[in-house]
Amino acid sequence: MGTLTIGVFSSLIGSMNLDFAVKLAETAADKGHNVNLWLSGNATTAAKKGQKEYKDYSYLIKKISGLQKKGVQVAACEACSEARGIHAGEDIIEGITSIGMDWYVAKAAKSDRVLHIGVE
Amino acid sequence: MSNNILFVVQRPPYKSENPKLAITHAMSCYTADIHIDEPVEPTLAYVGDGVLNCIRDQRSQDIYGLISTEQHIKVQLSGDMKILVCKEDIERLGIKEERLVDGKDLGAEAGLNVVPFKEILKEMEICDHLMFF
Amino acid sequence: MKLGIFYSDLRGNHDMLFRLKGEKIGVFLVGNGIYHATIKEKGEPSPILQKKEIDYYVLSEDLSTRGFSTDEVDSDIKVITYSDLTDLIMNDYDKLAWL
Repeated sequence: MGTLTIGVFSSLIGSMNLDFAVKLAETAADKGHNVNLWLSGNATTAAKKGQKEYKDYSYLIKKISGLQKKGVQVAACEACSEARGIHAGEDIIEGITSIGMDWYVAKAAKSDRVLHIGVE
Repeated sequence: MSNNILFVVQRPPYKSENPKLAITHAMSCYTADIHIDEPVEPTLAYVGDGVLNCIRDQRSQDIYGLISTEQHIKVQLSGDMKILVCKEDIERLGIKEERLVDGKDLGAEAGLNVVPFKEILKEMEICDHLMFF
Repeated sequence: MKLGIFYSDLRGNHDMLFRLKGEKIGVFLVGNGIYHATIKEKGEPSPILQKKEIDYYVLSEDLSTRGFSTDEVDSDIKVITYSDLTDLIMNDYDKLAWL
């Protein structure tokens, strides 16, 4: 089994790239791979507590919690989050690490595969 | 052992923050060893419309109060980051090399490397991972 | 280089797709990229499908999401699931690029 690191920079709402990334992470974890998920730029909005579920908007909190139970490490870019008023310890969903970009590039460097979704 | 990540910027600056996040993520490679005890070496390549990030005299600091992409590139040039710019794309867009950022005022010895796309493809071959922005 | 390219737009970056070269190239049509596998604009297949040396794949879940079935996919394109996609990227391609 290998290690897959997925980086996403797209908004939770306004793009479905995050939905794709979470589903891929879930599938890879189910197959026994180690998976890391990095949320950066607008993707940090997925890490915000207190989101309300509407059927017309992407809502990934439950799925991200499920990923964590499967051993997926999920981290959000600290600077990108703070810039959006999403503060570590108060606003970020439990289990998501708020950390610097060096975490992501380090995880990527040690991974067998990196899928970097660097678009909006 | 060094791990090389190639950051490929293919979109113009400012409309989205992501082209700038390519530089900040590349910069973060220099501190990645706090997590893995191994160096991570970044290379930055500007291709397609992404070469527009490299035009000099950007004034986003004066106008919007934002550090310009130019400032970031200059700092990285002075720190010796390898930065490539696609020759065919600057020619296609009618940009002369003298219109590109250099880091001389910050003491950079080398400027941007304007190279044919085939050189950027070679970098893609030799790197460990690709990150397209 | 065995390069897996992800393509998720209908009107996307065709130029970059054609410039990328490698020993093996696979294109994964996901999100709105699936329209390249299903729509024949002005009766013609998508220009991104013109490269014979590329292996094309389309994600079945994204086809279904957008109202298409496997029967409507060009025969040169392999329909894959998330499970197949995971196997392909972990086993068959060493580098990945999302354009």
